Amino acid sequence: MLEIETQGLTKYYGKARGIIDLDLKIESGEIFGFIGPNGAGKSTTIRTLLGLIFPTSGSGRIFGLDIVKESKEIKRRIGYMPAEVNYYEKMDVHELLRYSARFYDSDSESRIKKLADTFALDLKRKIVDLSRGNKKKVSIVQSLIHRPKLLILDEPTSSLDPLMQATFFDILREENTRGTTIFFSSHTLSEVQNMCRRVGIIKEGKIIAVEDIDTLRKKQLRKIQVEFTHPVDTDAVDCLGVIAPRADKNFLNFMFSGNMNGLLDTLASKDIKDLIIEEPTLEEIFLHYYSDAKENDGKA
Amino acid sequence: MGKPSMLFNRNIYLKELKRFRTSVIAWCLSIDVLILMGMAFYPILMEEDMLKQITAFFENPFMKNIMSAFGATLDVMTNVLGYYVTRNAVFIMLIGSFFFILLAGKILAQEEHEKTAEFLLAKPVTRLEIAWTKFTVFFNCLVLLNVNILVIGFISLEIFKGNSEYRLTAFLIYSFYAFLLMLTLGAIGLFLSLLIKRGRPVTNVSIGIIIGVYFVDVLSKVTKSADKIGYLSPFKYVDSRVLYPDYGLIWWRVLYFLGISFVLIILTLLIYKKKDILV
Repeated sequence: MLEIETQGLTKYYGKARGIIDLDLKIESGEIFGFIGPNGAGKSTTIRTLLGLIFPTSGSGRIFGLDIVKESKEIKRRIGYMPAEVNYYEKMDVHELLRYSARFYDSDSESRIKKLADTFALDLKRKIVDLSRGNKKKVSIVQSLIHRPKLLILDEPTSSLDPLMQATFFDILREENTRGTTIFFSSHTLSEVQNMCRRVGIIKEGKIIAVEDIDTLRKKQLRKIQVEFTHPVDTDAVDCLGVIAPRADKNFLNFMFSGNMNGLLDTLASKDIKDLIIEEPTLEEIFLHYYSDAKENDGKA
Repeated sequence: MGKPSMLFNRNIYLKELKRFRTSVIAWCLSIDVLILMGMAFYPILMEEDMLKQITAFFENPFMKNIMSAFGATLDVMTNVLGYYVTRNAVFIMLIGSFFFILLAGKILAQEEHEKTAEFLLAKPVTRLEIAWTKFTVFFNCLVLLNVNILVIGFISLEIFKGNSEYRLTAFLIYSFYAFLLMLTLGAIGLFLSLLIKRGRPVTNVSIGIIIGVYFVDVLSKVTKSADKIGYLSPFKYVDSRVLYPDYGLIWWRVLYFLGISFVLIILTLLIYKKKDILV
């Protein structure tokens, strides 16, 4: 069964692009990573799904219900964490969480206490006095109180310390085991790759790929810079798995997706001065992954 | 649009009421002090020496014209209800108008401006519920403040009236006009706040509107030639001739206030229902 489904979902802010022709299918019970750089349209997608803004064209359904006409019904079963947390500053944490909980028909007090304990959240503090990290924790708790069937998380881990991130991921796994579907938006692949089964990549308002995380992982793309003791050409490293090499005087830059031992063996026989191996940015992965895929298609 | 009960959200209502509770009480108390202090001067005014001076003052044609713009003639000023209304017309109605145009201007828009709309709209509530409930809060504050004015006004009239007589119905009718005026200005504030992107405050525009329409009204009373433009101002529709023997509710005045308020509130609900909430 599909939890979220959009068809040609498009949003323009006047003439400015939001999202274009978005087709998404997210299955019930899955953890879906929604990845894209800042300004790609992640938040626009989420806000359209939640009914904060209305689509220019296209349609969307959550739990089989229309996102525009049946928004209230949908939101009974959704927990949402926005990218930037803004709450009523004069309230204290407990007041805010109670206010939030009263929108749902759920007995919340014990759940609030339990979640607050888990995230070491002081319920008595005023919202205005909270750090960004603590506001984020309040946001986590308020999104979970009513045991939602679908969690929509917009860059949820920004400003959480590593320990809290780990706790948060544990809770998400727990919720997912219970059957909660999770829509996890992030600008880094590394953040979601341990959680998600599939990821959708959004760039300049368009979905450019929806992939199984395993397929991506098999690619194991690395960004490599080799500094030689002498000027080199693009074919200086002749090894299987080198993608798009670029030579600049003594430097050779390329992407690598293959056997690392093979690469190191090849490099061992060269006169090299320095070697940098990095995880490429998401944009680089997809740029190369897809140009590569297209080339292969062409050859076939 | 559904039944009104379907539009009301108790949770939002209680939270908003709590949010504005302190400021409404503070404004009520300030207005009480103003009314009582103002009315305390009435007995002093009626002392013989003072009365002579005032009579002389009103014999000056220039002063007479100016004062009549504010509804103050000798007859009016020497009657306790006339005196109350003249003071009210200047202070209470203006203060109330400022308060309610500002309150209505921020009650809905502030969620957007302070970006809490993202929290609220992710909850299981419809746009209509939010807008209607917020309007209900505004309306309750309006009723509360006006009942407070009514009670304190009545008490102050009774305490300070001395030998002067007044008709209670005239006082009630005048107070009802003032209530309608504040309702209308509130509806204007609410409507305006929705036209602004990202809920930026409409404070300056609102204050400008009140001052503007108030002086249009004053101007129309000072100069006969400007009489007609007075009808552009909601203040003009408040009938303050409380000493007229046939003073009563005039249907077209009431209809004017209720009509404008009704149209603006319906428009507000419709716009809010369709509006992109940008945070």
